[in-house]
Amino acid sequence: MNQSRGQAKALDKLVETYHKQTGVRVTVDSPGPTNFPAKLQAKSQSGDMPDVYSTLTLPEMIPYYKAGWAMNLQPKLTGDWKDNFSPIALDLTTLKAGTVNGLDAGIYSAHWEIQTMGLMLNTKTFESAGIDPKAPPATTAAWIEQLKKVSGKTGNGAFLMAASLADRFLLSHASNWLTDAEIDATLAGKASWKADGWRKGLQLLADLRDAGVIVNKALPGGDGDNPTVEKGFFNVQDTPAIFDASVAIGVARATAPDFTDYVSMGIPKAADGMRKPRVYGGVGKGACINPKGKNVDAAVKFVQWLTEPEQAKVFVDMVGLIPANPKVTAADLPSQVAGFASLVNAIEITPSPLNTDARTALVSGVQSLVLKEKTVDQVLDDLETAQKRTK
Amino acid sequence: MTTHPLEGVAASRPRVRRSPIARRRELMAWCFLLPAIALLAVFTLVPFVQAIVLSFQQWDGVSTSTPFVGLSNYRFVLHDTVFWSSLRNVLIFGVVGFVLGNAISLGMAVAVNRVRRGKAFFRTAFYLPGVFSVVVIGMMFSWLLAPNAGILNRLLGAVGASGLQHNWLEDPGTALPTVAAVFLWYHWGFGFILYLAGLQDVPVELYEAASLDGARGWAKFRYVTWPELLPVTAIVSLLTLLGALQVFGTVQVLTNGGPGNHTMVPTLRIYQEAFTNQRFGSAAAMSVIFGGALVLLAMLQLWLSRRRK
Repeated sequence: MNQSRGQAKALDKLVETYHKQTGVRVTVDSPGPTNFPAKLQAKSQSGDMPDVYSTLTLPEMIPYYKAGWAMNLQPKLTGDWKDNFSPIALDLTTLKAGTVNGLDAGIYSAHWEIQTMGLMLNTKTFESAGIDPKAPPATTAAWIEQLKKVSGKTGNGAFLMAASLADRFLLSHASNWLTDAEIDATLAGKASWKADGWRKGLQLLADLRDAGVIVNKALPGGDGDNPTVEKGFFNVQDTPAIFDASVAIGVARATAPDFTDYVSMGIPKAADGMRKPRVYGGVGKGACINPKGKNVDAAVKFVQWLTEPEQAKVFVDMVGLIPANPKVTAADLPSQVAGFASLVNAIEITPSPLNTDARTALVSGVQSLVLKEKTVDQVLDDLETAQKRTK
Repeated sequence: MTTHPLEGVAASRPRVRRSPIARRRELMAWCFLLPAIALLAVFTLVPFVQAIVLSFQQWDGVSTSTPFVGLSNYRFVLHDTVFWSSLRNVLIFGVVGFVLGNAISLGMAVAVNRVRRGKAFFRTAFYLPGVFSVVVIGMMFSWLLAPNAGILNRLLGAVGASGLQHNWLEDPGTALPTVAAVFLWYHWGFGFILYLAGLQDVPVELYEAASLDGARGWAKFRYVTWPELLPVTAIVSLLTLLGALQVFGTVQVLTNGGPGNHTMVPTLRIYQEAFTNQRFGSAAAMSVIFGGALVLLAMLQLWLSRRRK
């Protein structure tokens, strides 16, 4: 069962090839990203789990792992198969001991994609404001100055981010001051959200607000907030710069194939940053294998085949993703992905999942911050309270 | 020792033996009722009881174990500020649905009832919004109200009223009233149809008699139409109020509770707690609290309308 609408066509094509090569027929059910979690949950409750299914985020997957619906692939990830994954992909997939209560260490999913988070810039709009979008600004202050110039042209701001991505924005920018270990300690509830690094990390949004560069002066919220932002960037093209994941390239290919005048890059470093900034990232689309299924061996073989270089290349060509397979080189990637792909080695390694209550508090908190209803400290207070509440 | 007067009556009443035909008829009636009772039990009573039981358990939606945790889910809900603030928001929806929903539906019904031609057209046109799926309505209005590309703001710009252009759904000042207005638009057809049916049942003789007594427009409405519509008003009020308090789809599609939590409503909070946070126990506790409040409110409303009658 596949979650990704953007990858459905590539999967269908690969399944057809697999059938021709091996004679094994694989049926792909693609209920779509919105319906997928509920459908997967219903299947788990009725004991009718598919042989192979898309992974969700770690907090969403934990119940499935605990219920034994995902095979621990660690013993199988040796030799040739292991070579299909870059070390960072394996590191990001490995569940370390003690990070999730009641769950053994292991690797419960295999991924053909790596995602990084960063900025996407409409090259034409930036150029029309006299800015070279391919020359990244040296600091966040310089970036804000650029956005101010572009705002002057558009008259309605230059930057937008979905509220639901606030955690990724914060986790990326706070890395200017916090180490991965410090970030992980906060996510695990062992350190405070009120540390200076978090405060400075969140302050960037307040600075963007004060500079008047946020489009419509508000961050979209709601279930479809990121599609709204993507629509403004790719389809309507009234949003010059957005914060998004590399997976958005696939969205662009599916919804606005003619629009290719954009580049990607990371959030510029903070002038007073104490560390080299990293980015929020992780493994992207991938699969879990149901160990209680009827076709376990066949499912393992299919997933192994899916992650081989030839198939990874099909995903790159059709979807425009960053492959987890290191044998696909940077030269194979589309130019729009280049900026995101350059961030792969800067992905934070923070094994602890972000507490859902803290995330909810942050998502609504940043909206209030941009609307000047709350201060940075109040948002961090809310985060702290939410995290403690479900510790 | 005293005996209750009715006990004596009951004792002295001769036992009536029902005929086999009457007994067969009653048995037949129960047979017809059985499928409905079974459906009611399986799809209403059992889930209702299960929800109450679940509110004392812990469940992530996937695990097979559901340990009992006593009152901890209720303690969790008591400290959930978002849930309690969502109750305040839904009360606004309730008041808007109750007052404006009734007034608009009644006004439209009275107007349509008076026109001589085109009744069928207005009946269809006014009921039309209620025919669409709530998701379609949400999508439609999110396009209409989009800050830059939305039709409403473009229209305002085109007529020279660009000062009125607004980010309707993302400004805390306008988000809740905007969602409430969409809700009203979606639901007014239901009350309108009931009021129209009620108006057509008012005997013409009453209006004639009122005319003879010298009553004109407002007096006729106040002393004839309104009292005759009281039973309809009671049911429309109750259903509109409950509909407004249970609003979910419109809010989820339009704002998902944002900006911040300015449009959060209890049903959406319950949904998020269950399906996003995967805490079905506390979601069940919230639904028990909210459901209980709705039952109490419905009982109060029915009691008040009976007293008024």
